[in-house]
Amino acid sequence: MSDAPILSVEGLEVAFPGRRKGQVIKAVDKVDFVVRQGETFGIIGESGSGKTTVGRALVCLIEPTGGSIRHFSDNPFALSRRALRRHRRGYQIIFQDPNAALDPRMTILQSVREPLDVARIGSHHERTRKALEALDHVAMGPEMAARYPHELSGGQKQRANIARALVLEPQLIVCDEVVAALDVSIQAEMLNLFADLQRDFHLTYVFISHDLRVVAHISDRVAVMYFGKIVELGPATAIMSAPLHPYTKALLSAEPEPVPAHLRNRERVVLQGEVPSPLDPPTGCRFHTRCPLAQAECRAREPEWRELAPGRFVACHFAETPH
Amino acid sequence: MSVAAKNISDSEKAASDGVLLDVRDLCVSFRDDAGWVRMLNNAALTVKRGETLGIVGESGCGKSLTALSIMGLLPKRGCRRTGNIIFDGNDIAAISEAGMRQVRGRQIGMVFQEPMSALDPVFTVGDQIAETVRTHFPVSQREAKERAIEALASVRIAGPANCATQYPMSLSGGMRQRVMIAMALVCEPKLLIADEPTTALDVTIQAQIMELLLELGQRTGTAILFITHNLGLIAESCERMITMYAGEVVEDGAVEAVLQRPLHPYTAGLLESLPGRRAPKSRLSSIPGRVPSPREMPEGCRFAARCTYITGPCAATQHLRAAGDRHVRCVRADGLALAGSGT
Repeated sequence: MSDAPILSVEGLEVAFPGRRKGQVIKAVDKVDFVVRQGETFGIIGESGSGKTTVGRALVCLIEPTGGSIRHFSDNPFALSRRALRRHRRGYQIIFQDPNAALDPRMTILQSVREPLDVARIGSHHERTRKALEALDHVAMGPEMAARYPHELSGGQKQRANIARALVLEPQLIVCDEVVAALDVSIQAEMLNLFADLQRDFHLTYVFISHDLRVVAHISDRVAVMYFGKIVELGPATAIMSAPLHPYTKALLSAEPEPVPAHLRNRERVVLQGEVPSPLDPPTGCRFHTRCPLAQAECRAREPEWRELAPGRFVACHFAETPH
Repeated sequence: MSVAAKNISDSEKAASDGVLLDVRDLCVSFRDDAGWVRMLNNAALTVKRGETLGIVGESGCGKSLTALSIMGLLPKRGCRRTGNIIFDGNDIAAISEAGMRQVRGRQIGMVFQEPMSALDPVFTVGDQIAETVRTHFPVSQREAKERAIEALASVRIAGPANCATQYPMSLSGGMRQRVMIAMALVCEPKLLIADEPTTALDVTIQAQIMELLLELGQRTGTAILFITHNLGLIAESCERMITMYAGEVVEDGAVEAVLQRPLHPYTAGLLESLPGRRAPKSRLSSIPGRVPSPREMPEGCRFAARCTYITGPCAATQHLRAAGDRHVRCVRADGLALAGSGT
């Protein structure tokens, strides 16, 4: 694992125009983090937290409205269209819906070869060979390659999508809810596959999910997002065993545990209320409307993003207070 | 005929023992171009009064089909249902559609995964709940409205009178699901069938909705048949659980006992494949292969092709049999000593 960050994100902001004139919705509001080469960086958040928007911005599918994203030391948004197209090969993304990237009229082989066709890499024969190789890496044999998407199960389609991302030999893959639509037994298989591919191809992952257990299992470090901001960032094991932010704590306790009652020795924090409207964000700390610990200060002043212990970042006025 | 009569008298006895719902030998087949294919095979389950029973299984194993069969909501054409569904002493599998309409909503309430598909977008939430009340009780329009507002208050919606005037579109997913629960419970049914009620919701909202469901169930004495793919939810909310696989019930027992020591290798496999129970980054165990398609269902054990404990007797048809106060559809269950999540 090298120390040069493959991704550095500083003060990232993504705003969308609202329905009315002049209205602005900040989907991502001043987010900072780095992703190191070879690691798996997890992003957890509920719907509306901005996790998907961050993921898309990382691979240049959305242009930030503020702050910067660097791939090593390059600013990909400064590249010409042509140069960006070439640059993008190294930074792939896989989505939740396995059907989204597969054309129903193309065989799996054609779909997996398509990125190479578009990039005009090698001869037709070489592209086919590469596509078959990529399919082989995700345990899909030549008999699968000849099939159409409707002939495959959800898990197999997701494998094809992984092959489609792999065929361009990327350095980094953003995985956005890639196992959310799969049954648990298939999900386990896929998580194992992601681990194998990372080892074999020295891949870096940004793994986005709403499922805390999935993210914690696969990630080295985890960022917890709430309402457009990262509220906590740290090593996966530390976040799971000793969360600093009350939102992280609530998320952990809300996750139902499939174990007998005597092993479930924890009090549950059931958050009241729902995520506020993005058109009318709360003042101060954005979590204060639902936070069980909220004080007057939380309503008045936005907490700073600070490093509480080495590698453990949090944005909460009361992160030191045991809760 | 005599068999049916015997069943009913059995069920009368069972009803006095506190059994509210007793499903026996439930089979459902669908017809396609190639003929009839059986999707649900001899499903059997009982729900006691006031009890919460969970059904777990992966997609396509027959959980939702079981729920739809109980409610009589299967398509009229190209679908065949056999077996007995004895609810509160009556075989509701044998009654007419008109009779069933008296049961649905009044005796058996329902909550589905996607509230938007169950709510009518052109009526206000209050009108929809009031309509449910007026369908089953001879009350005035005004009283029905009042009951609707009370129901919305009971699911802890702040400003229930205001919420009653809203259209479903303007509510969040969590609020819609509260409205669904209010509508399902407004007639105080004896049984609530909740099919993946929180699957589309965020985990913090899921926790709110589950707390609400269980509390209301307890307060009104409503039994809950809770269908989910989430073993964690079953562990935290149910007294008994059923595992379904490939259209069959494969295990049935008290939740604590099943989690401690599952009897069927499929239940054990489901528990094993969950991330979070093993060290981070370690290998997860998975269940190899796929559920056999209904057209290619094997003669013997339906799980055999994916099972690590397969031996000779697995080639024979497996029957759901008693194992103490539990049931299992596995010939090897007694000798396996499978690990649960409590070990």
